[in-house]
Amino acid sequence: MKMTRRTFLKDAGIFVAALGLEPVWLPKMADALEDMAYGRAPILWLQGLSCSGCSVSLLNSESPGPADLITRYLSLYFHQTLSAATGPAAKDAVERAIAKGGYILVVEGAVPLTLKEACKFADENFADQLLRAARSAQAVVSTGTCAAFGGIPAAPPNLTGAAGVDAALKQAGLRRPLINLPGCPAHPAWIVGTLMQVLKVGMPDLDAHLRPKIFYDHLLHEQCPLFALYQKKHFAENLGEEGCLFKMGCQGVITQADCSLRGWNGGVSWCIRGRSNCIGCARPEFALDPRFAFFRLNEENLF
Amino acid sequence: MAKIVLDPVTRIEGHLRIETQVAAGRVTEAWSKGEMFRGFEALLQGRDPLDAPVITQRICGVCPISHALSSCKAIESATGLNVPANGRYLRNLILGANYLQSHILHFYHLSALDFVHVEALLDYSGRDPVLLDLKHWAQSELNTNRVLPVAPFLPKLPGDYAQNAQWNLGALSNYVEALDIRREAHRMAALVGGKMPHAATLVPGGVTCATDADMLEDFRSRLRRVRRFIERCYIPDVLQAARLYPEYATVGRGVARFLSYGVFDEESTTWMPAGTLNGRGHERLDLSLIHEDTTTGFYRGNHKSHPQNAPSPIPQTDKPRAYSWLKAPRYNGLSYEVGPLARIMVAAAAGEPSIVDPLTDFLREARLGQDQLASTLGRHAARAFEAQLIAARMENWLDAVTPGAPAILPYQNSDAGNGVGLIEAPRGALGHWISLKSGRIGSYQCIVPSTWNFSPRDGDQNPGPVESALVGTAVNPEFKGLEVARVVRSFDPCIACAVH
Repeated sequence: MKMTRRTFLKDAGIFVAALGLEPVWLPKMADALEDMAYGRAPILWLQGLSCSGCSVSLLNSESPGPADLITRYLSLYFHQTLSAATGPAAKDAVERAIAKGGYILVVEGAVPLTLKEACKFADENFADQLLRAARSAQAVVSTGTCAAFGGIPAAPPNLTGAAGVDAALKQAGLRRPLINLPGCPAHPAWIVGTLMQVLKVGMPDLDAHLRPKIFYDHLLHEQCPLFALYQKKHFAENLGEEGCLFKMGCQGVITQADCSLRGWNGGVSWCIRGRSNCIGCARPEFALDPRFAFFRLNEENLF
Repeated sequence: MAKIVLDPVTRIEGHLRIETQVAAGRVTEAWSKGEMFRGFEALLQGRDPLDAPVITQRICGVCPISHALSSCKAIESATGLNVPANGRYLRNLILGANYLQSHILHFYHLSALDFVHVEALLDYSGRDPVLLDLKHWAQSELNTNRVLPVAPFLPKLPGDYAQNAQWNLGALSNYVEALDIRREAHRMAALVGGKMPHAATLVPGGVTCATDADMLEDFRSRLRRVRRFIERCYIPDVLQAARLYPEYATVGRGVARFLSYGVFDEESTTWMPAGTLNGRGHERLDLSLIHEDTTTGFYRGNHKSHPQNAPSPIPQTDKPRAYSWLKAPRYNGLSYEVGPLARIMVAAAAGEPSIVDPLTDFLREARLGQDQLASTLGRHAARAFEAQLIAARMENWLDAVTPGAPAILPYQNSDAGNGVGLIEAPRGALGHWISLKSGRIGSYQCIVPSTWNFSPRDGDQNPGPVESALVGTAVNPEFKGLEVARVVRSFDPCIACAVH
C-alpha cells in the first residue's frame, strides 16, 4: 500500500477531528503527516522513575493507531519497552541518537536528583543521561505527571529527591524548549498531538506550567456532563452513588484537562463516567500532599 | 571466564541489568539487578487508606489493575468489608481484560522479536497489505542515510533466528494486528474501569461504575474480537514457536518450585486455585512462611521480615554485598517461581477440571510433556494457554453480572486493623499488606511477582529463580547474550513492580 496524498488527508481528517481542531487545520496536518512519513519524526524516548504507563498509553492512540505511529509517522530511535536492541546494542542506539541530535526527547518518569543511583541505564545514572540527551534535543516533551512535576515518586518523604524534568534541567542550568504533558498517564492524543505540532508547526501555546493550552485550557468541571447535577446540588454521598461527585472530593473543580470533552480509550469511558472522582492527575500538585486525600467522603466544606 | 552483561534489558517493564559468568559455552552463575527505586511503601505511610488503591496501581502501567485490587482487598480485610457478587464479577472482567492485553503485549511486542528474523520482510513478494506496507516502510528507511533505520525493530542482537518465511512474516503481521487487539482489550477494561492504564472505579467495597445491558454487550463483542485473535493467531504462533525452537523446552528450567495465591473470585473461592508445589504435589498456602530478605538489597540493615511487620525501607547504596534494588522474598526459606506457569502447574496439581482437561489437549498439540513446561518455551506456552482459558471464562463472568444490581457496599474507615490482599497479577503472585493506625495507613508492604522471580541472593547466598534458571544455558559468544535474553524475557519481567 503506497502512501498517497489521500492517505495523509484521510489520516489528517481523523486526527483533526480527534484533537478537536478547526477544519482549517486539515491541510497543515496532512502536510505534517506527510513530512513525518518521509522525513520521519526522530524521537528519543527515555524512562526515568516511571511505571511505563505513558508508554502503554501511547500504544492506546486512536488516530493514528499504534502501528501507524511506530512504522509510519514516528522514528523511535530508542524506546526501552519497544526497541529490539537490547544490552550493548541498546546503549549504542542511544549514543548514536545523541551524537546525531535533532530529535525530540520524550521523557517518561521523574528524575532522582539526590539519590541518583535510584535509576540507572547501562551503568550511567539516568539523571546524567537525561542532561546529555537534552543537550542534543530540538525540544523536550515531559510526558506524564512524573516527568512534568515529579508525580507520585516525588511525594513525601521522597527518598530519591524525585523531581520533574524542568527542575532537573534548571538545576543544571540547561535551557531547552520544553513542554509538559501531565496526566497519569498522559492521554495518547495529548502526546501524539504535541509531537505533531512541534514537528510541523513549532512550539504550541503554553500556559504558566508549560502545558499546551489546546489540551489543558479547560477546567474539567466546566465541561463536565454532571455540571447540571452540581448546579441542582444533586450530590453522591457514597462511593458508587449517582450524582455529582463534588462532595466525594472530586478534583474536577481545580483540574485543567480536557478529559470531560475527550474521554479515554477511544471514548468508551473516563473517570467520572465510571462514577469515580477526578483525582486531579494532571495537576502540578498531584499526589504531593498526603493530607489531601483523593476521596473525601461527605465533606461539607470543601475548598 | 567470560562475562555477558545485558544492560539495559529492553522490551520488559522497567530497569533491569543481568550479569552472567560463562565457562565452556554455558552460563555458570547469574545476577539479576533491579536498577530503579521510587519508595512507594514509605510514601503511603500516614495517608488516607482510600489513597492506597489509587497510588499503588501507579506502581505499574502494565498491570495497574492487579495492584488496585490487591490494595482494595487488603483494606477490605482490615476493615471487614465484603464485596457484592456484581462487584466481584466486574472486577474479574477488568482484571481479565488486562491479563489479555498484558499477555498479548508480552508475546508479540516484548518477546517475539527474539525469535523472528525481521529482515525476512525485505524479501516479501506476496500481496498482504500489512506486510507490503511494512516492507515499503523498511525499504524507504534503509534507502536514506538515517542514523538508526528501521528503528525500533533494528538493530537487534545477532542469533539463530528461524529461517522459516511463513513464521517470520506471519509473526510480523500478527505483531501489527496485536497492537490493535491489545488496545481493544484496554477499551474493555476501560468500559468497567473508567480509563486505562490506571483505572478509576476500583475502590474498597466493590466497583463504582454502573452497569447496564448495553455496556455488557459492548464488552462482550469486544471480548469476542480479542478471543478470536487468541485462537486464530496467538495460540498457533506459540505452537509454531514450539516446533521451530524445541531446544527451548529444556532451557531455563528454574527452581521447579511454584507458588500461586489464586485468582478470579467466584462464588466461594477463586477460579484459579491457590497453593504451592515443591515436589510433593499440591500444598496449601501458609502465609506465615513468607519473608523478605534485604541482605543483598540496597537497603539499610539485613532484615528477614514478614511483610506484616517489616520496616519501611531506607536506601543505602554503598552497602557491602548489595547489588539490586529488589528484596529477596522466600517461602519457607526457599525461592519460588510465580507467574502463568506457576498458576497452571498449581491448578493442574490441585485438579481443577476446567484447567486440567484443556491443558492435556493443549500439551498434546504443542508436543510438550508436562515436565517440559518448566522451561523458556513452557512459560510462553502457559501464558498463551492461560489467555485462551481466561477469554473463555470471561463469557461466564459476563453472564453472572446482573445489570443495575449493586456492585459496591459502603466503605467505612477503621481506626486500627491489619489486612492482606492477595491476587495474581499477569506476572504472578501479588500481595499487599496494610496496617491502619488512627484511621491512616500505619505501614504498607507489597511483595510483587517480579520480586519473587527476579530476586537477588538471600542472606544464605541462595540465588533467586531467574538467577537459577539462567545457570546451564548454552551461549554462543557471537550472539552476545540473545539466549540469556530469551530466558529472562520468558518470565515477563516487571521491574518497576518488583522494586516499587
